Amino acid sequence: MPKKQDKSDEQKNAEAEVQSFKNELGPFVVAADTTRMAMVFTDARQPDNPIIFANDSFLSLTGYTREEVLGESFNFLMAHAADAEALAKIEGEFQGKSDGGSEIRYRRKDGSEFWAALFISPVRSEDGDVVQYFASFIDLTALKEEQAHSRELIDELNHRVKNTLATVQSIVWRALRTSPDAKAIQGVIEARLFALSQSHDLLNSKNWKGAGLVDLLNNALAPFVGGRAGRIVATGEDIDFAPRAALALSIAFNELATNAVKYGSLSNDAGSILIEWKIEPTAEGRRVHLHWLEKDGPPVTPPSRKGFGSRVIHGLTDQLGGTVLLDYRPSGLICTMSIPAPEGSGNG
Amino acid sequence: MDKLLSGRRILIVEDEMLLLMTIEDVLADLGCESVVSASTVDRAVSLVDGQVFDAAVLDMTLNGTSSRAVADALAARGVPFVIATGNRDNTWDGFRDRAVIRKPFKYDELVEIIMRLLPGRSSDG
Repeated sequence: MPKKQDKSDEQKNAEAEVQSFKNELGPFVVAADTTRMAMVFTDARQPDNPIIFANDSFLSLTGYTREEVLGESFNFLMAHAADAEALAKIEGEFQGKSDGGSEIRYRRKDGSEFWAALFISPVRSEDGDVVQYFASFIDLTALKEEQAHSRELIDELNHRVKNTLATVQSIVWRALRTSPDAKAIQGVIEARLFALSQSHDLLNSKNWKGAGLVDLLNNALAPFVGGRAGRIVATGEDIDFAPRAALALSIAFNELATNAVKYGSLSNDAGSILIEWKIEPTAEGRRVHLHWLEKDGPPVTPPSRKGFGSRVIHGLTDQLGGTVLLDYRPSGLICTMSIPAPEGSGNG
Repeated sequence: MDKLLSGRRILIVEDEMLLLMTIEDVLADLGCESVVSASTVDRAVSLVDGQVFDAAVLDMTLNGTSSRAVADALAARGVPFVIATGNRDNTWDGFRDRAVIRKPFKYDELVEIIMRLLPGRSSDG
């Protein structure tokens, strides 16, 4: 920025000038002085439009003191002094060629940058000569931040949509292999899509901040409870999981429940499921130990090959940095999960 | 009996579980018996450091974070890979010339890309 000359003469002239139009315009100057919009007046008759008046809002926007600002050229605040495009826009403002104002990037005294919308109007003498310019600045920081935030949200949404489509594609691909029967395929696809949709609802209801274990269990088991209310018991202190983990757990519980309804303790009239968990300290840090215990179902025989459900459960647990054991006992399946406890959980 | 991918070792790094399993199955259908998978950056990097792979499929974003560290590890060991992404953005600096596949993608297209990445069959292992 151009070095300011000795304050004395120039400053005195400027102050005298301001004093004179303060006297002439009275209430208007008081208004300019106290409005929340940042404003300056410049001397149109000197090169580079030196600033001869700056209101308090301008000073708080830029971080400079009045003494530092008065006498500086109008463009001393520009973030990039040689930015030709910005210079052209500012020149356009001075020429009155812009109606809507121009967005210019400025720099505060502390070095931080901000965007402002700049509006400039000429102040004419009685002879019609332009003697001063009046410039106002609207701080666009909040607007620009909001725009950047929206952009991020849109990118994130796009990312999720593409991933969801890829997931749906794989659901369909897999369903087509399970059966030659169209009705059966339809059933498989619908069940998985509804499960996916429900877990998204759950996360959405908390703004994608995560979900509590109690809620996500209830949610995942809801489609299977009908008429079996007393046969599924879940006990444990609620634990908040991050969205990703909540989604994984919710799919895992859905798979376990699907299996229970098809082959396990919910496939007859007498069986039940007990789900219990607690947080325990281990050598690898605090972990959630969860047991899914089925009993009183038909006698269980271990599956001959690793089915879809068990692959999903293993994969998801692995994804959470945990381990899982599916123990197919004759008396009923026992699934034991050990996953890292979310930070800050179970301390209160 | 000699299927397209028999005897090949392929690493899949992907955090969408259903997609990961489907890719495993698609490759298994083509005779690839050793498909190894990872859904976190740490796990993937330790697999790359500890095992030998003929090719890899790498999701650009794992749990919301960039998987660039995995790309670096693969490149350091000379393992060819295809980058899978749901974004339309460019891939990382230094990897712009790598194969990219945009989600959702045709499984046939993925297989074609993997076939192109694989070193020639004649090369002795």
